Amino acid sequence: MLSFIRKRALASLISLIGLIVMVFFLSRLTGDPAALFLPVEASAEMKNQFRELHGLNDPLLVQFGRYVGDVFTGDLGESLRKARPALDVVLEAFVWTLWLAVITMSLVTGAAIVVGSLAAFRAGGFFDRFSSIVSLIGASVPDFWLAIVAIVVFAVNLAWLPTSGTGSVWHWILPIGVLFVRPFGIIVQVVRGSMITALSSAYVKTARAKGVKSTPIIFVHALRNAMLPVITVIGDQAASLLNGAVIIETIFGFPGVGKLMIDSILQRDFNVVLAAILVTAVAIFIMNLLIDFAYALLDPRIRH
Amino acid sequence: MRRTALSCALALGTILTSAVMPAHAGSGPIKVVLAEEADLLEPCMATRSNIGRIIMENVSETLTELDVRSDKGVMPRLAEKWEQNADGSWRFHLRQGVTFSDGTGFDAKDVKHSFDRIMSDKNACESRRYFGGMTVTPEIVDDYTIDFKADPVQPILPLLMTLVTIVPEETPLEFIREPVGTGPFKLTNWTPGQQIVLTSRDDYWGAKPEVTEATYLFRADPAVRAAMVQAGEADLSPSISQLDATNPKTDFSYLDSETVYLRLDHNIAPLNDVRVRRALNLAIDREAFLGTLVPESAVLATAIVPPTTLGWNKDVKVFPYDPEGAKKLIDEAKADGVKVDTPITIIARSANFPNVTEIMEAIQQQLQEVGFKVDLKFVEVAEHEQYYSKPFAEGRGPQIVAAMHDNSKGDPSFSMFFKYATDGTQSGFSDPKVDDLIKRASAAVGDERAQLWSELIAYLHDDVVADVLLFHMVGFARVAERLDFKPTIATNSMLQLSEIKIK
Repeated sequence: MLSFIRKRALASLISLIGLIVMVFFLSRLTGDPAALFLPVEASAEMKNQFRELHGLNDPLLVQFGRYVGDVFTGDLGESLRKARPALDVVLEAFVWTLWLAVITMSLVTGAAIVVGSLAAFRAGGFFDRFSSIVSLIGASVPDFWLAIVAIVVFAVNLAWLPTSGTGSVWHWILPIGVLFVRPFGIIVQVVRGSMITALSSAYVKTARAKGVKSTPIIFVHALRNAMLPVITVIGDQAASLLNGAVIIETIFGFPGVGKLMIDSILQRDFNVVLAAILVTAVAIFIMNLLIDFAYALLDPRIRH
Repeated sequence: MRRTALSCALALGTILTSAVMPAHAGSGPIKVVLAEEADLLEPCMATRSNIGRIIMENVSETLTELDVRSDKGVMPRLAEKWEQNADGSWRFHLRQGVTFSDGTGFDAKDVKHSFDRIMSDKNACESRRYFGGMTVTPEIVDDYTIDFKADPVQPILPLLMTLVTIVPEETPLEFIREPVGTGPFKLTNWTPGQQIVLTSRDDYWGAKPEVTEATYLFRADPAVRAAMVQAGEADLSPSISQLDATNPKTDFSYLDSETVYLRLDHNIAPLNDVRVRRALNLAIDREAFLGTLVPESAVLATAIVPPTTLGWNKDVKVFPYDPEGAKKLIDEAKADGVKVDTPITIIARSANFPNVTEIMEAIQQQLQEVGFKVDLKFVEVAEHEQYYSKPFAEGRGPQIVAAMHDNSKGDPSFSMFFKYATDGTQSGFSDPKVDDLIKRASAAVGDERAQLWSELIAYLHDDVVADVLLFHMVGFARVAERLDFKPTIATNSMLQLSEIKIK
């Protein structure tokens, strides 16, 4: 088991390093931060001075060497625009994103497994059809539209919840509610499909023949075997949430890492972009390890 | 019985209190929701709108201040008065008894340090750009008097001082994150990504504002900002979208000092021909945009600066919509061998202002209808800047850059050199008379200054036909009914909390 995890970790580390190298050089291809930080009327001298101040006049390889050296000492540089350490800026934002992703995915996983399993148990029945329609709508509704409608209905018209922002438990309900919809729709479909296959397999028929009740058949016998593809999709959905739910963060004024990353790319705040990518990549790398671990737990064949 | 007597006494008390006490305005905290967060609260960056809107004249004050509500021009703030010395330098007499929010006193040394800090190469202070092409040296005369020597002499130095925020002498040259100023408010909380709180100071030198505390929140989506004021979560949003501005009790439109125009590159044929440039102007039906793609209260532009600017020339008339006239001019130019068939590219910036895509597509179509061949290209901000500013690319075709320019500072000098002088960074042409007028107007004072700017505005519009001026834009603000506040042309760059009254 340990050697399996070690192998996976090593492979991820190599891709992480490749990613950092690529982002460093690609981000520098996108243009000059001085042109964006300073107003259009700024003189060439002012722009040059800004570049000098931030070491942007050095050859790219020198900048890269300095960057790698700094990363090894844990220094990811200063934000060009915020005059603060880039890592602080990113970690502050990442905590919000992480909570949003963890809470949403826990709720989604629980709900989708129950609904998907029940739908599969009586495939073609009323509940199956109903949940299929709901999950299809969920998987296809645009989240920006849903977010605005949710604000208008629940915050402005009904005045049940705050429109946006942070501060209390109530502030989390709308963003999580909106974020919930799409992964829920997708995962319900996968659980249903996978469960239908599992429920029609020989060991389920044997269990039924032996008189096992429906609930243990679904949730003990079939579910464990049906979970492998589901875990893959859960991992996929969680990764996109960890990257930051940009639209949701923007609309609800949630200070997460997705919005930070987009803003920093537009402003050519290189150090923040790199730090944000590094932090989210490490998070996704850890999450992939957990998923591999879950695979191995569920299916002994993978361990060997 | 007893209850009746009690309620009678209470009622009487209320009547008496309201009779004795004057109906005076309230005071209390407010919440302001802005579109863009301030990434820094650095006083020397307060000329940038997302920073200035929070700290300018609230936390950090300036020596002088421009009156944007009436036409008093440059008014005293930390300087009580000023005069020009015989050698052309300016002497400022500073207000006494002023303290910074850290308790230290304000004097001439702070003013000198603030100015030196802006000009330092240890930072990238944005306000430095207003002092390009001149050398300004501050010299302390005594604790409360300071001279500013400028070479060449600057007639508008008191106006330039509206852009220099004063920090204590002890402030390091590098960017700071906790501004200390002499203003009526001090920074009491900043949670990045969430909120900024300013609290009023008891030891402020001037009148105490009605707003006791201002919490700034940040939401990028205009519909959410509007909803927040409607739901009572915020009291003021200086910018909401036109679509949301539906309630006449809370939603106001205001001229926001932004001017939309098409910058023409006179260096490349056929845009080097004045008939072609005139035809471009005649081909566009500006009126048709008002109330459709552009807010109805927007003003058709005849200058790059808004109508509240010094030297505004009311005699300059907007080009009429005259497609036949445009066709005639194109034919005339063609007959003289001008290559009017060369495809012209309009370069616009995505999301530059509301409806920019539709507006540019309509303009493209109107130009095509009179016979121009026009391509339309949308680029993002950094690429747009490469087209807009010099050096222009070699071997480029004829280009029109759609852009929006902001001047809320009351004087055309902040625009004219950059946009129209031969050496101006965004100038699409070179004309000796324009250069001369800019130079003379920049050096003139009083009526002569206004007169020269007027002359330049008319010459650019009527004779040079420098560009295609389109609209002075308006913004929309939503103000909760409990507040008494009307946005002004400066609201885009500065939001003085002391101007907000609570009903």
